[in-house]
Amino acid sequence: MPEWVYNGFSIFVVVYSTLVISSYIAFAILAFFEHRKHYTYHDDDYTIGELKKSPYTPGVSIVAPAYNEEKTVITNVKSLLSLDYPDFEVVIVNDGSKDKTLELLIENFDLVKVPYAYVEKIKTKPFKGLYKTKSDNPSFKRLTVVDKVNGGTKADASNAGVNVVSNKFFICTDVDCVLDKNALYRMIWPTMASTRRVIAVSATMRMSNGCIVEEGKMVETHPPHDMIPLFQDLEYTRSFLIGKTALSRINAMQNVSGGFGMFDREVVIKAGGYDGDSFAEDMDMVARMIRYMCDSGEEYRVVQIPETCCWTEGPPNFRVLNRQRMRWGRGLFQFFTVHRDMVWNRNYRQYGMLTLPYILIFELTAPVIEFMGYIMVISLLVQWAINWNTIWVAFLGLYIFAQLLTALIISYDVWVGTSFKKRTDYLWFVLASLLEPFYYHPINVFFSLRGYVKQILGTQMVWGNMTRKGVQSAPKQTAPGLAGSTDAASAAASVASVKSAVAETEKKADA
Amino acid sequence: MEYYVLSRYAYWKYYLLILYYRLAEYPPVVRVWAVFSTISMILLIAIVIGNMVRSVRTAADSYAIAHNREKYWEKIKEVALSVRVWEPLEISALLELPKNFKMHERSHRRYVPMLIDMYRQYGPQMNKINWQRVLQVLKMPIYFEEQVRSRNTRKRIVAFKNVADMDANLKEAVASRYLFTKDRKLQNNARLHAARFGTSYPFKVLLEDPNLVFTDELVVKFHNVLMYRQENGMSMPNFIHWCNRTPLNEELRIFAINEIRLFNRREDCAEMLSMLINSRDERFSCALIKALGAMEYVPAEKEFIRRYLSASYAERQELAEALGAINSGNPEVLHFLEEDFMQTTDYVTRMMLLRVIHDYGKLGLKAYNRLKKESPREFSIYFEHIECDLIDSRKYA
Repeated sequence: MPEWVYNGFSIFVVVYSTLVISSYIAFAILAFFEHRKHYTYHDDDYTIGELKKSPYTPGVSIVAPAYNEEKTVITNVKSLLSLDYPDFEVVIVNDGSKDKTLELLIENFDLVKVPYAYVEKIKTKPFKGLYKTKSDNPSFKRLTVVDKVNGGTKADASNAGVNVVSNKFFICTDVDCVLDKNALYRMIWPTMASTRRVIAVSATMRMSNGCIVEEGKMVETHPPHDMIPLFQDLEYTRSFLIGKTALSRINAMQNVSGGFGMFDREVVIKAGGYDGDSFAEDMDMVARMIRYMCDSGEEYRVVQIPETCCWTEGPPNFRVLNRQRMRWGRGLFQFFTVHRDMVWNRNYRQYGMLTLPYILIFELTAPVIEFMGYIMVISLLVQWAINWNTIWVAFLGLYIFAQLLTALIISYDVWVGTSFKKRTDYLWFVLASLLEPFYYHPINVFFSLRGYVKQILGTQMVWGNMTRKGVQSAPKQTAPGLAGSTDAASAAASVASVKSAVAETEKKADA
Repeated sequence: MEYYVLSRYAYWKYYLLILYYRLAEYPPVVRVWAVFSTISMILLIAIVIGNMVRSVRTAADSYAIAHNREKYWEKIKEVALSVRVWEPLEISALLELPKNFKMHERSHRRYVPMLIDMYRQYGPQMNKINWQRVLQVLKMPIYFEEQVRSRNTRKRIVAFKNVADMDANLKEAVASRYLFTKDRKLQNNARLHAARFGTSYPFKVLLEDPNLVFTDELVVKFHNVLMYRQENGMSMPNFIHWCNRTPLNEELRIFAINEIRLFNRREDCAEMLSMLINSRDERFSCALIKALGAMEYVPAEKEFIRRYLSASYAERQELAEALGAINSGNPEVLHFLEEDFMQTTDYVTRMMLLRVIHDYGKLGLKAYNRLKKESPREFSIYFEHIECDLIDSRKYA
């Protein structure tokens, strides 16, 4: 390779990385102000107290698609039903599961099919029926189960849920997610406090892999002790506590996670709902909502709240991580193909002028540039023309910067008050941060590039199942309950045993 | 050998010179990068250290708060819940406070969470005089006054919030200076404080501010303040007066109408009806219709019927709901509801009409059954939906 290529590339890399670092510093400072504001003014108890006694508190619906989730569905639905909020409903969409998801739901919550006047506000695969409980249990009355033909994507199932929700705001989550008891209060408050219309709210999500969950409720939070979920936990925390919080401060949020986010139902329907063909349906949805608001000249806000409201199970192995990252990579590529007209478009305000160019330059192209960097280094190594002094300075600088970012997110996490049970748990984050540049990051670059290549070649991709290992349950709960039971048969057996025990007690009481 | 003590700026210069000469052999981009990364790392380190210091302080505060709770909780609870009125000296003796008790700002701050928790837990059962005396003995009103007078806006806001949270006593005049301040958060907190504790006409500020932004958060908070005033037997505002006085702010007018409904002020119905006749704004009309319907004001029925066919879908839904709530047994009402059921193209309105007809007494049930027979087959799902007891058909959107 001619020398000017190396020189040109090295100058480009220095400029590029300086810009990346500058953006991170800007984000860190913006996030600092946002955290300070939140820390000073937000008080969970106060908010809950005000909302609990007010007749003006808006209702919230929770939409959770379920596809072949028989292992965890009952525990998780119970967890959703036990949330604390004056007016909420839980809509579970059975997306044509091939296992016993629907049967277990019917059996455990006394469901019956009801004649519901279903209106397809957003087009989905055919609706098969709607189930409501006949039980007198007041919490079960909040549950609605929608049964539909499998659409192959989470987007299609979510759209079916949106079609039946009755509240102004709905939360879209996954059935395997564990929500914080006060999540709904935290999510609804920004919509009420803003002077502009809040179209979506995002909250911090963390990995549930190392946590202890009892009856679907979070008891103790710990970092995952498996490397891949640990890396992902670090990545999520960094993204939510620095990136998204900073972007939220200037109303330039790029995405509301598909795992847990609240949306304005009316805007979602007007924007056409989730796109079933998209691999990044959450990001695409937010883009279309913003497009709708900007095109109709309305003021809007997309908000990120720093508190952890949701825990989800991270990919347990490289196979699942590969699938996830490839999908994200494809999704990002596809997103810019579909919404290219929004980039550098002043009509779309901060989103068009700042967020999308930033993602395009620093997220979409980053894996390509990094990959080229690896090739350059290897090529220079082969020629033995490498300047070790320069490499050493650059690498050390970047490495220390990455470690400082980790220190920053740990300090933000402690500040926000959603820290782990033990402070020593943060050592896992430090370990992950030390290893990430050598182990996790290069692999992710490779997976993302695979996603790009597949998208360019137009290879068909199937949404694989997320392999669930199940989260840890508290020791005392393991015997009679369902939490943490990863085996469907044992879950069913424990349900049966609990039921028989209850029946026996009732018989004794009657006698 | 002489040693020179460098000034703090000289240290920086010295470091940058070292950086310059050390990196002189590198290309310019590397030198720029090195300087940049130094600055960025210093920035990051500053934030991290700041956060760590804050965390340590918070931990110390938590420890002190727990200590205070252990020491005073039971004693304060005993005084606050006692029927007998305690003298300040008695309280002071019980709490084992010195004669000239004085606290540092930080120590005061460490009492606040405990007192808020206690008020939240036992507020309704408390002997109000004793509670105020406890706060007085702990010098809370003076502390809050200092906080509100401080230069730090965040301190002022937090102080207002804490005063409301523990029902402390803060002079009205202290809050009044912030009623029209530029900082909206401070302004709102001062206004809420004035509304909660004000003795003259505390809601005047809302009516006099042309730039008022009445968010849903304020709706919730002001309603709770009004509830507090009602529970404590304090004077309540004239909501209908708000509507007449504030043509500038639509949100506040809607809030006033909703409050009339929630506080069931039937005496305002006649005036609300005349407002409805003159109203052109859809949201305001909907609020009026909802309020008149909820209070079952029969004379409004005629106006409802007059408005119905020229109304938007949102207003029609409110009208149908209100007519159903009044349920006067008027066959004319049923007649046009039936007609609209067959004609409307909006499915939510159709469902609502059907539900109102179904719930409209015996006459309604008869009309419902007739409609069931006469309606096209594709409408059968609506009838089944309404008849199903397991579905809450009021929540259909």
